[in-house]
Parts: sequence; C-alpha cells; structure tokens
Amino acid sequence: MAALPREIVATAIRTGASARAEVGSAPRFKVGDAVIARNMNPTGHTRLPRYIRGRRGVIQRNHGGFAFADTRAHGLGDQPQYVYSVRFEGRELWGPDAAVRDAVYIDLWESYIEPVPSR
Amino acid sequence: MKHEHEHTQPPSDPALRIKALESLLIEKGLVDPGAIDELVDIFEHRIGPRNGARVVARAWVDPLYRQRLLEDGTKAMANTPQVHNVVVCTLCSCYPWPTLGLPPTWYKSPPYRSRVVIEPRKVLAEFGLAIAPEVEVRVWDSSAEIRYLVLPMRPDGTEGWTEEQLAALVTRDSMIGTNVPRVDAAATGRGK
Amino acid sequence: MNGIHDLGGMQGLGPLIREPDEPVFHEEWERRTFACLILTLAGGQYTVDELRHSIERMDPARYLSTPYYEHWLHSAEDLLDKKGVVTREELARRAAEIAARGRD
Repeated sequence: MAALPREIVATAIRTGASARAEVGSAPRFKVGDAVIARNMNPTGHTRLPRYIRGRRGVIQRNHGGFAFADTRAHGLGDQPQYVYSVRFEGRELWGPDAAVRDAVYIDLWESYIEPVPSR
Repeated sequence: MKHEHEHTQPPSDPALRIKALESLLIEKGLVDPGAIDELVDIFEHRIGPRNGARVVARAWVDPLYRQRLLEDGTKAMANTPQVHNVVVCTLCSCYPWPTLGLPPTWYKSPPYRSRVVIEPRKVLAEFGLAIAPEVEVRVWDSSAEIRYLVLPMRPDGTEGWTEEQLAALVTRDSMIGTNVPRVDAAATGRGK
Repeated sequence: MNGIHDLGGMQGLGPLIREPDEPVFHEEWERRTFACLILTLAGGQYTVDELRHSIERMDPARYLSTPYYEHWLHSAEDLLDKKGVVTREELARRAAEIAARGRD
C-alpha cells in the first residue's frame, strides 16, 4: 500500500482541479459585462454569500466550466456552469463609509448572476 | 427533517470520537493506517509556505516565469504600487494548499472571515501593514474552486540577491496578502 | 443556506487572534481527523461540497465556539452516518469501548 498515499495526496490537493467540467453551451457573460447578483435564499448549499446578493458588479474573467456546488452538495450531479470572477466596489457592498478604493473580487457560478441593462 | 443540533447527548471529547471513527474506518477497510501517517507527515513537514516562497522568488528574478504565472489568471495576483491584494474564504477556509500548505487558525476563524471583506485596511493595520489611501485594496473571496496566491512586491535593497536569499524573505502572510516581505523582518526572524 | 457560516460582513465576532509560529496541528486528534477526512474524501465517500454543507448545518453556537477540526469531525460523522457507512450507533459503541479500556 506504499504507493497509495502519494496518489491520494495528489487527489486531495488537486480537489479543485477535479471540479473542472465541460459546459455544453456558450457563456452568458463576457469580460466587462455589468451584472447583478441574484437575490436568492436557498435552504440548501450555495456559494453565493449574503453580502453579495442583489449587488452590482463587473465581470473580470471567465474561469471556465466547473461542477456546480449547489447541486453536488445534494447528490444532484455536477451540472457544470461557467464560473466568473466578478468585481464589486466596496461602496456598492457596504455604503459610503467604505474606502473609495476597496473592492471585493468573488467567483460566481453563472446562475448566481443576471445582466444589468446598460443605461 | 431531523434538526442537526437536537442530539440527545452532547458530543463527547473529540479525541475519543476520532479514535472511534478511525478504528472503524480501518476495520471496514475504508482507510489504510499507513496512509494516515503518510498524509499527516506530508502536510506537517513536506508541504508548506516554502513552496510558495520559491514560486515568488522565481517570479522576482525571471520575468518570463512571472508573466506566465500572472497571465494564467488563476495562480497569482501581483501586488503593485497601485494595488494591494488579500485573500479570504468568507464561507469556510479555502486556501491554496499546494503552494502554502494548511492555513493558520486565524485565516479560518470568524473574525478574519467576517472583517476582511468589509474593513480590509483595519484588518491589515492589525497585521502591522498600513495601506495608503491612494492604493487600491482588492479582497479575493475564494468562493468557488479557484485558489489564490498573492505575489508580493520585491523589497527594495535586494538587487543581486539569489533566489534562495529572496525566498527566505517571503513570508506566508505576504502570500495571503496580510503582510509584505521586509528585509529587516527576515533578518530578525519576525513576521511569519 | 443562510447559515452561520456565511460570515462576510458580520460584526462583533471578536478580535483577530494570531498564534506566533503556530504548528500545523495542535493536537493528535486534529492530525487523525484531518487524515481520516481527506482519505475518505479521496476514497469517494462524499464530495467536498457535501462536507461543506454538513458543516454549515452545525448548531450555530457550536460552529462559532469549537476548534476548526471539530467541524471536520462533525461532517465526517454526519455524512458517514447518513450514507450508512459508519453509523452513529457504531461510533457510540466503539467510543464507549475505548473509554472503558481507559487508554488505547
């Protein structure tokens, strides 16, 4: 069993990479798009924190397709989606008391966000 | 639906619980005792911030390596005179294990996870790091499966240093973004 | 879920406390918990998402007041029981046997 530990460790430390998955359709968003995080309050697992919900941000990057945490946590399959890096200004999240040059970058699955119509 | 915290008896001592669990897992052939020891040894002694420090030192001396590292977009974010980066996982404790090993307790604890997204400059000040108002602070919340490493700026006064000498300056906290490498701190052994 | 784990922006959770030169593991039980959880995860007993959600469902007061690796222990016990792999009854029996032996 001496060989087993190394394989297991490799698997363990590559847990993130193993979540990558092909998405069958085109991305809904591109870099620079203005988006708004959905106001969703599922009782099950989600990786959309409350402090982001309903807030407006800008797409920074498309990380590619990943298994969807919200379904995987409940044995409902991988159901891959694109994951985007989205930038939210500190003042958008926390109000005018936030430092003007603070921002949060967070990784969001595609179903967590909606487009903001251009003004 | 069963409520998780309506146990009839309080959980007992974790040491006893894990002894029971481990012995049953081994008996049932689900876990190999040798693998337990190997895994602990790897994360206690063989994977740690020195891995990340070598990546940073190499990026400091090798512009092509640095460019590839940053272009990938998922490996490292560079601090610049205009931007300071800091990493958190507000929802749990996600951390770049392959480059930094296992995270320190403060990183996984409620005070850091709650505060760094809303008052990053105050949190950084508690680490001894003052950020000028004109510098942008970017807080990276590791909410999905991408793991972030901060590539700190190379300190002044290190021209001509070898990669090994440079790596010795790179603290774990500087790769999380809660501090920066300092030539004098390394000399006195301060600033993990 | 809107659980206690969703901490971003919360206030009043106490000061930032840092232990200088903190060891990777403070106690032997943390080492064993870490290893057992990783090995069962790698062995396909559950996904990391299931583990996270199990931790999210901990009693909030215990979540905030217990050491980090106790969260891992909670999730391993919870999920292995739910999947019928190691039941709580088996664990309780084994823990009682070990305690009765006085030491291992």
